[in-house]
Amino acid sequence: MIVEILDIGSGNIKSIQNWIERLNVPTRIITKATDIKSEFLILPGVGSAGSYMDRMKKGDFDKAVVEHLNRGNRVLGICLGFQLMGDYSSEDGGVEGLGIIKGRVEKLSDSFSHNGWEKFDFKKSDLCNNSFNSMLKLTRKQNIDGRVFFNHEYGFVVEDDVLFNKPVSKDFEEYSAMVVKDNIIGMQFHPEKSQQTGIEIISMIL
Amino acid sequence: MRVGATVLFWDGFCYQSYGWNQMRPLGKLQGVIDSLEAYQCDEISIIRPIRENDTEETFTRDISTLREINSMTPLSFGGGLRSVEQIDFLHDLPIERLIFSSAFLKQDKNLIEYTRKLFGHQAIQCLLPFSIDKQVIKVFNSEDNSYLYYDELNMDFIDKYANEIILFDTKNEGFSNCFNRHSYEHIEIDNKKIVISGGIGEESVKLAKKDNIASVLIENRVLYNEYSIKEYKNA
Repeated sequence: MIVEILDIGSGNIKSIQNWIERLNVPTRIITKATDIKSEFLILPGVGSAGSYMDRMKKGDFDKAVVEHLNRGNRVLGICLGFQLMGDYSSEDGGVEGLGIIKGRVEKLSDSFSHNGWEKFDFKKSDLCNNSFNSMLKLTRKQNIDGRVFFNHEYGFVVEDDVLFNKPVSKDFEEYSAMVVKDNIIGMQFHPEKSQQTGIEIISMIL
Repeated sequence: MRVGATVLFWDGFCYQSYGWNQMRPLGKLQGVIDSLEAYQCDEISIIRPIRENDTEETFTRDISTLREINSMTPLSFGGGLRSVEQIDFLHDLPIERLIFSSAFLKQDKNLIEYTRKLFGHQAIQCLLPFSIDKQVIKVFNSEDNSYLYYDELNMDFIDKYANEIILFDTKNEGFSNCFNRHSYEHIEIDNKKIVISGGIGEESVKLAKKDNIASVLIENRVLYNEYSIKEYKNA
């Protein structure tokens, strides 16, 4: 199994690559939409929504991601990569997303930014109950109880009742920290920068 | 409140410094980051303490070192970021946030806006290395190795384009519990947006928590006191 990481010219690609390779799982950086071949694709996310989506469309990555999912493959979106899985983002004057998770992205209310660590607990059954299956069985761990790192000014508001939705925290409970639906996972936090908890999360997912 | 560390890095080596002036080599960057990560440091700010002596060759060499860093701790990086070409050069680095100083002092909107498109507004931090003498705040401008009076800065510009502002007390750097709080008491910006560094000790951490500061960055002394980060977190 190779994990493919989308590189559209923005973001911290190298951190994502280091994170996956810590598990001795090989990675491939994807710079052309036609090169997407593996079963697991990561949409990294550092950047602004308008510029990111322009690059996605220019390189036909938007269509390629949807085709990848339609073939039954899995996608993990991180931070902005997660936000653009929704229908719409209010960043940069309004940006249309990929529309693969029902929801919208809006500026965090009562706060200019959310930068920091939050407690995070998660059960493997939350994946399985939402039809998301790990392939590599890298860990026997059933529960994760740790902390994850957030750095964002916009939040994802889910508009779908039939998916797994974990809120960011009590202070930001209207926004999603993590969403699981079928073969899609979205994470608002940065698992690749969440130290030991980040390793445990990806071990469970892959 | 986050408890992180500042690491001064220049020409391939990390340095321990006192008063923004005297520097002693501290070791290689990966080793320093590994140590801080082992202490579960919340974040690491890697700053190139350049003066007017920076060259393209040194910058390129430092970026190559940074590109090879393997870390699962949030990293920010700055020092000598002055052109769009340099920003393009950074896109595949294992860092999440970028630190600008001179660009904010001279209100380089093009550079900041270009960076925002590539990295996002949440990724932009402004570094203000300051010194206070008789309640007068001066901010160091590394591009021409001089100090500006605080009143000369356009704080509206800084507040608009920076997600967070790092106040670095150059005079007290390397010493304990000396961070000058007059800096953030004087600046008309929400404390939730302020990060402090330079002269941080346990007392400074307690006061910063009380004042709702976003983050404290303990300077290089932490590497000599392995228990520090943990103790500071409980301060």
